[in-house]
Amino acid sequence: MNRFLPDVLIHTTEMMKNKHVAVIGGGIAGMEAASVLARQGLKVTLVEKQKATGGKLNDWHHLFPDFSSPGVVVENLDKKTVRAGVNVVCHTEISHIERNNGRFELSDQRDVKIFADAVIVASGFHVFDATLKEEYGYGLFSNVITSVDFERRMKKHGKLLTLQGTEPRRVAIIHCVGSRDAKVGNIYCSKVCCITGIKQAIEINKMLPECEVFCFYMDLRLYGSKFDSLYLEAQKRHKIQFIRGRLSEAAERPDKSLQLKAEDTLQGRPLRMNVDLVILLVGMEPALSNSSLMRNNQMKPDENGFFRSVNMHEARNVGTQEGIFMAGTAICPMAVNETLENARSAALEVMNFLRTDKNHGGF
Amino acid sequence: MHSKLNSLLKSDVRLEEGLTACMNCGICTAICPAAEYFEYDPRSIAVTVQSGNEEEIATLLESDTIWYCGQCMSCKTRCPRNNCPGLIISVLRKVSQETGAFVQSRMGRQQYLIVKNIGMNILNYGYCVHPTILMPENHPEQGPVWKWVYENMGEVYASVGANLNGDGPGAMRKISGADLGELHRIFKESGGLKFYETIEHFSKIKALELGFVNENGEADMEKYTQHLLQEI
Ligand SMILES: Cc1cc2nc3c(=O)[nH]c(=O)nc-3n(C[C@H](O)[C@H](O)[C@H](O)COP(=O)(O)OP(=O)(O)OC[C@H]3O[C@@H](n4cnc5c(N)ncnc54)[C@H](O)[C@@H]3O)c2cc1C
Ligand code: SF4
Ligand code: SF4
Ligand code: SF4
Repeated sequence: MNRFLPDVLIHTTEMMKNKHVAVIGGGIAGMEAASVLARQGLKVTLVEKQKATGGKLNDWHHLFPDFSSPGVVVENLDKKTVRAGVNVVCHTEISHIERNNGRFELSDQRDVKIFADAVIVASGFHVFDATLKEEYGYGLFSNVITSVDFERRMKKHGKLLTLQGTEPRRVAIIHCVGSRDAKVGNIYCSKVCCITGIKQAIEINKMLPECEVFCFYMDLRLYGSKFDSLYLEAQKRHKIQFIRGRLSEAAERPDKSLQLKAEDTLQGRPLRMNVDLVILLVGMEPALSNSSLMRNNQMKPDENGFFRSVNMHEARNVGTQEGIFMAGTAICPMAVNETLENARSAALEVMNFLRTDKNHGGF
Repeated sequence: MHSKLNSLLKSDVRLEEGLTACMNCGICTAICPAAEYFEYDPRSIAVTVQSGNEEEIATLLESDTIWYCGQCMSCKTRCPRNNCPGLIISVLRKVSQETGAFVQSRMGRQQYLIVKNIGMNILNYGYCVHPTILMPENHPEQGPVWKWVYENMGEVYASVGANLNGDGPGAMRKISGADLGELHRIFKESGGLKFYETIEHFSKIKALELGFVNENGEADMEKYTQHLLQEI
């Protein structure tokens, strides 16, 4: 079978079999990268801090832009990792990566130690804590929820009710919560929340056709190939209303509905509106464990706190420490399809690195 | 004059603090108490100044708009770009006063009344507002009770523990000549007096333009003041 392979490649393949790659984070990025590498014949350990793999997708109800099931995506990835022979270790949160003599030593708070020739950090993202935007009343007013709460509620109950148990007649969806905001220290755009908001607006309209839905946006950032058609559908078929103005504050009224203050900037006029439910489109932040993962090695944060690549165009997955790579939303906000593509490219970078690793008899 | 407006605005450090870059989000307008009552939109003011459009800036300087702001600085607390429209307004007001544009608007012309009242009170009494000069007939906003307070000022202030016009410590005490002299020097050194003069200078020109002239051919500022009071 090796008839067509030059000697050099046969040698490489043999050598690669003894290489061990550790992947930190068992979200979809880590799962995809791990399974691709294992299929290439490498030994791979995938470490996840939760009890199961899948990351944030375990919480989502439906995926934009096609309303498909995140459960199916995770299931397929699970099958792939098992078939490829990835060693999956759950309940383990890596807090240290140390480099000794060209090898890496990963450890957690207990005494788990994992040794590896290369590391992929796929620690994902952290959801913005909406209580920090005090003026929006999250955590104070019971009918202010986040987009994450929406997904969880829909997944669990399959319906959307106010805290009083009634069907909302008016819902406001607030864009850019915790993103593009110097006041909370995040000046970047989280990229997927505009389309998440449109998806959720459509879902509300499908469930509650009588309910009016308003999206308060600054710019609609619909970069994906199918995103603008969803926007069109939201306006045409679902009568979602888009108001160009950012929410200034929400106040609870005696009946637990909410009064919103914004400016309709296209009209140039302050606007007051009462709604039964507010959904905050919370942004994506660097994962909580990133700072401890950066310690003890030369990995660096970029200007937004995500992992810095050596070159954002040509080597997106390559970290500032030789031998450490990144995959998925550990690098920056991205959607599921981009995360998976990105993870595959991380796997390829690792292969190239191990092949040319001079310290280990490569060339 | 127009070509200089941008540099005049930029020479004020408050503009640097007040406007980095506006993303046109409207949060400031939504929180602004003045926007709730007047045809007033701090967002569009930030955008106009950001655009650098001299013609539009000149229009702003001559408009009532810039005088609606209550300088409460609520906008500063919320702006996602850390701008502060309230400070942008402060700069526009100063440039309007320095260039004389303020006399072109009704609200702007009131600057003269403010200088003559609050402005001079500080220098003469050491207080912005002093009860002895609040004539009841000029201050209906004080309510009918004010006439009585005014007429019985000595007893009323003494009974609430104030030291009206007295020597030594206490509320409403007399400000000593030495302290007034110091205040005067501060106003001189800091350009405050010059500022008063500038406002008076342009107000006189406006008075002449409106035909308020006395027998010597000079601006009749008494009549101009009456005119401003009626304009309110
Ligand atoms: C509200 C919301 C809705 C969304 N909806 C959609 C959608 O409909 N369609 C779409 O395409 N995209 C959607 N996205 C984006 C999508 O969630 C991401 O693309 C995806 O989750 C990225 O996967 P990831 O593996 O990079 O990160 P994550 O999903 O965050 O996974 C990271 C994993 O790493 C683990 N981990 C972190 N640190 C450590 C550590 N130190 N040790 C061990 N394990 C660790 C975490 O427990 C987690 O399991 C949405 C995002 C948000 C915020
Ligand atoms: S994707 Fe939309 S909602 Fe999210 S930060 Fe960017 S502009 Fe705001
Ligand atoms: S400072 Fe002026 S512009 Fe700002 S909120 Fe107060 S009144 Fe409005
Ligand atoms: S809040 Fe700031 S960014 Fe938004 S419109 Fe006002 S000045 Fe511009």
